[in-house]
Amino acid sequence: MDISSPAVFVNAELLPMHVGRKVRAVVQVLRTEGESIIGKSTDERQLVVKGSLPAFRPSTFVEVIGIADSNQSIRAEISTDVGEAFGMFFFSSIPNLI
Amino acid sequence: MNSQFDGNVAFSGGGFMPSQATQATDFGASPTKSRDTLGCLPLTVKQINEVYQTSDDKSNFVVDGVDVVNVTLLGMIANKSDRSTEVKFILDDGTGRIECMRWMSESIDLKEMEAIQDGMYVRINGTLKGLGKRQLIVYCVRPVTDYNEIAYHFINCIYVHVYNTKLQKGQGSNQTPFQMTNSGMSTPARNGSMGYQAPPNQFAEQNRMSGIQGLDKRIMDYLNQPIHLGRESGIHRNEFVQQLKVPMDRINHSLKSLEEEGQIYSTIDDDHFRSTANG
Repeated sequence: MDISSPAVFVNAELLPMHVGRKVRAVVQVLRTEGESIIGKSTDERQLVVKGSLPAFRPSTFVEVIGIADSNQSIRAEISTDVGEAFGMFFFSSIPNLI
Repeated sequence: MNSQFDGNVAFSGGGFMPSQATQATDFGASPTKSRDTLGCLPLTVKQINEVYQTSDDKSNFVVDGVDVVNVTLLGMIANKSDRSTEVKFILDDGTGRIECMRWMSESIDLKEMEAIQDGMYVRINGTLKGLGKRQLIVYCVRPVTDYNEIAYHFINCIYVHVYNTKLQKGQGSNQTPFQMTNSGMSTPARNGSMGYQAPPNQFAEQNRMSGIQGLDKRIMDYLNQPIHLGRESGIHRNEFVQQLKVPMDRINHSLKSLEEEGQIYSTIDDDHFRSTANG
């Protein structure tokens, strides 16, 4: 078992603690700018997701796994469309609880 | 059917709570263990890792005081490798990574695993067996289709952890020895809304631990009586006045502070309350 490199659940508040490490976060897509997604984190702050991502429609919830490259941005390696009916409220608590 | 969410039924039923048999082994009553008689415990990889680090006897795993054999986890698949006899993969649930292995003994195993690919979220049920290696023997792998299940799984893990940790505290006290009422714990779904028999001593102990005294404690004891725990709409504030024979203003004051502390919550309106210890 390897616990050295799990992709840790983060929200915008916790992201700065994990800069340079692998993280996973859910964002709601607000808009796309070039190859980046400007999204709203589960704790309702703005996050930038960089990397070559598929086109996501605004308001879609997307889970991204990648490297936290700054306090407010993630360089995504994997992205998953988790749909539009996603319970942000419960999910927002998860990073703080586990 | 009642559309209201009932924590007793949702969490205690369905095999995800420690079952009657699990509790029995915990109290030393039944040494017999098998996959069929033990419950399926929702866990995180981090919890399993801690068990591996603390347990000397690799054939016996204990989490929060409960014997664990079958576990259910939820995470993302990585490094899947197929062989004719077995499929191995890594499950990453955000708290850690664990190696999993599934024997390809029947066609259903093969069929289920063919659909699984790296990067997919899956729920797995498996058996925690050391065999000298830190790996989970998996017998069910199901893709997650509703991603709310991820949050649900972690909330379930937290609930079960808190539930079992409370049990341990109840056991540890000499003043209020804990008596397990298995009938109530294991079959709330069948008993229906009136049949939930939570052990009152557990909550008495809990109240003592959290320092609730006086009228607050009397209200909590009243709410935690088995017959009242089963009332889904809760208890009206007038009932406290009548039953506890205390003026309304004092009742209101206590209810407000208990609600702020998270000990109780209002239900169908602002006048009906239930205990959060009810789960």
